[in-house]
Amino acid sequence: MKFASQETLRLRPTGRSEAVILFSVANQTFVIAADSVQEIRSTDSLAGTAVELERSELPKVRHMVERAHRIYYVVNAGMHFGLPVTRPTLVLILRQLRAAVLVDHIERMAEISAVHALPRAFSGEEREWYRGLAYLEDRVMPVIRPRGFLTAEEFRKLDEVAKAAMAEHEMEGTAQQ
Amino acid sequence: MTGVEKAAADSFVLLQVGRQRYALPADIVAELAPPVRLHAIPHTSPLVSGVIVRRGHIVPVYDAAPVLGAKSSFSHRFYLIARRDFEGASELSAIPVNGECELASGDVEPPREGRPNCVCGTLTIGEESLDVLDFEKLVTSQPGETVAGAAPEMRR
Repeated sequence: MKFASQETLRLRPTGRSEAVILFSVANQTFVIAADSVQEIRSTDSLAGTAVELERSELPKVRHMVERAHRIYYVVNAGMHFGLPVTRPTLVLILRQLRAAVLVDHIERMAEISAVHALPRAFSGEEREWYRGLAYLEDRVMPVIRPRGFLTAEEFRKLDEVAKAAMAEHEMEGTAQQ
Repeated sequence: MTGVEKAAADSFVLLQVGRQRYALPADIVAELAPPVRLHAIPHTSPLVSGVIVRRGHIVPVYDAAPVLGAKSSFSHRFYLIARRDFEGASELSAIPVNGECELASGDVEPPREGRPNCVCGTLTIGEESLDVLDFEKLVTSQPGETVAGAAPEMRR
């Protein structure tokens, strides 16, 4: 059995580097590939355009927003990851997915040289949530898999709820004119 | 079995979790790591409390204390790093332990009656009898599955 001194090694970089955004939710930092985020907006700037999804069966999705003629379902990242309730101030609008993510704040952008496989000890939903782990400046942070925010089945259910919500929204608009 | 293989099979790392000592087969133990930083990430896996970084590897940490009827505490803890097999592939995993670990050898007898699944034998060293832990079963136990009748003091 070996008894080693304090860890000073760095995980070896493998392959090319990747631009990422470090964001936080409930004091937990996450990493997401910069090229999977289309736009970052403040929650205030989207407040007027957000449509409430009252009949959503998913507690983590209460609103949808329309951007460039496309509907995005707004996922509360804190609820998605089972973290304490916070007051998100930013929305990450994802690029290849009809989802936007509520987060507390952006820490910064960075480059990571490797995404390390999630240890197999992690056997729960996190295997869908994360692509792996990043080791950056003595911190280990989960690297988000954007497709993990909503499953195909959840999208299907949300589409049904959104259709009804849009119809109600239009009727309310007509009634007010 | 050669003499060397027999000696290895009879070797155990004695470790302390809470106030009690246990034995773990030495052949699966990689190292005893100092109290390095535990990185927590959101997850839903039972017993996993986070990861540590050791020798260029990200090593998951299991909080085995509740399974062994002890209180969880991550302050000033050492980490005992052992190998787990996942369908032929090996992965390092750690459990927090108190104080120093030591190497010992001895004969193992079947577990005493009423011991939980994670105990695979009884190791007698002098007048002391220790539960031998099955690491795989320990880290895959359910959190509420504690050692039946675990005494707060070391059994002698």
